Amino acid sequence: MAIEPAVFMEKMVQRVQLADADKALLAAEASWGKDVAPQMADIFYDHLGRDEEMNAILNATEGRVHRLRETFVEWFYEMFTGIDNWGQAYAHSRWKIGLVHVRIGIGSQHVVPAMAVVVNAVRKQLRQDGKSDELSDALGKICMIDLAFIEQAYFEVSSQAVLQETGWTQALFQRLIARGANTM
Amino acid sequence: MAINAAKLQASLQQFVANASNVQGASIVSPDGLALATSLPGGMDEERVAAMSAAMLSLGERIGRELSRGKIDRILVEGDHGYGILTSCTDDAVLLVLADQGAKLGIINLEIKNVMPELQRQLGGTAQPLSI
Repeated sequence: MAIEPAVFMEKMVQRVQLADADKALLAAEASWGKDVAPQMADIFYDHLGRDEEMNAILNATEGRVHRLRETFVEWFYEMFTGIDNWGQAYAHSRWKIGLVHVRIGIGSQHVVPAMAVVVNAVRKQLRQDGKSDELSDALGKICMIDLAFIEQAYFEVSSQAVLQETGWTQALFQRLIARGANTM
Repeated sequence: MAINAAKLQASLQQFVANASNVQGASIVSPDGLALATSLPGGMDEERVAAMSAAMLSLGERIGRELSRGKIDRILVEGDHGYGILTSCTDDAVLLVLADQGAKLGIINLEIKNVMPELQRQLGGTAQPLSI
């Protein structure tokens, strides 16, 4: 593993400007998050199930979609609780989720649209339940951090696999990418 | 020991000028950076350096996977000649380009002969080279 999840988390918190006030808002609404998580999971998996490629992945093994649904509910609730105040345990959990996405073969082009479904669904629910815009913003920020972990996992796993199989140094690999990219 | 880049470059140029059928040569780091280069016109020095390092590294990996032992050299043979990659020191790789008229035995001897001088200038441990 080339990245240190806690360090990456810290960087993402800075970049999306997840403030202490955002964390406090999320924590205060954790029980609401827990209540709506199953509905969000329904919307999410209903959306994914309509994509042929995703549907095949979700149902590749017996009970996978059921297990993933449970994981989703847990993941959604943890965005509110922050596990350990959005610290090391949270970062490692998000990194692990990213790795699972790569391992089960979900193409990276599915991740952003899928996260957009979650963000839109949760916004609607927030409005419906009369929740504040501030909570909506805070949730949007933590969703983006989680998305960044998944996206980073694709790059890390792909590049580490190439380095492992070829014996190339990181610097050589980056040089080859830069040279190739310049000619595209 | 400090590396004298000008002297290294001069040694490489002298090798290219004197060795039979040799068209060019380059010494590159494992990270794909050129340390000294004397290549035919039109060749992209940076790309050649990156590809040479990539190829030697991959060749070593293949050698290990296929239980071929320590890799002395990698040979690319095409219609228009040869590209020979030889590990120079732990931190440098020598690429030699030769035309199609080259006799491989002679080229290998030329490389063997120039290697101790290049290794001395690079300050690396001399590696015995079998041919």
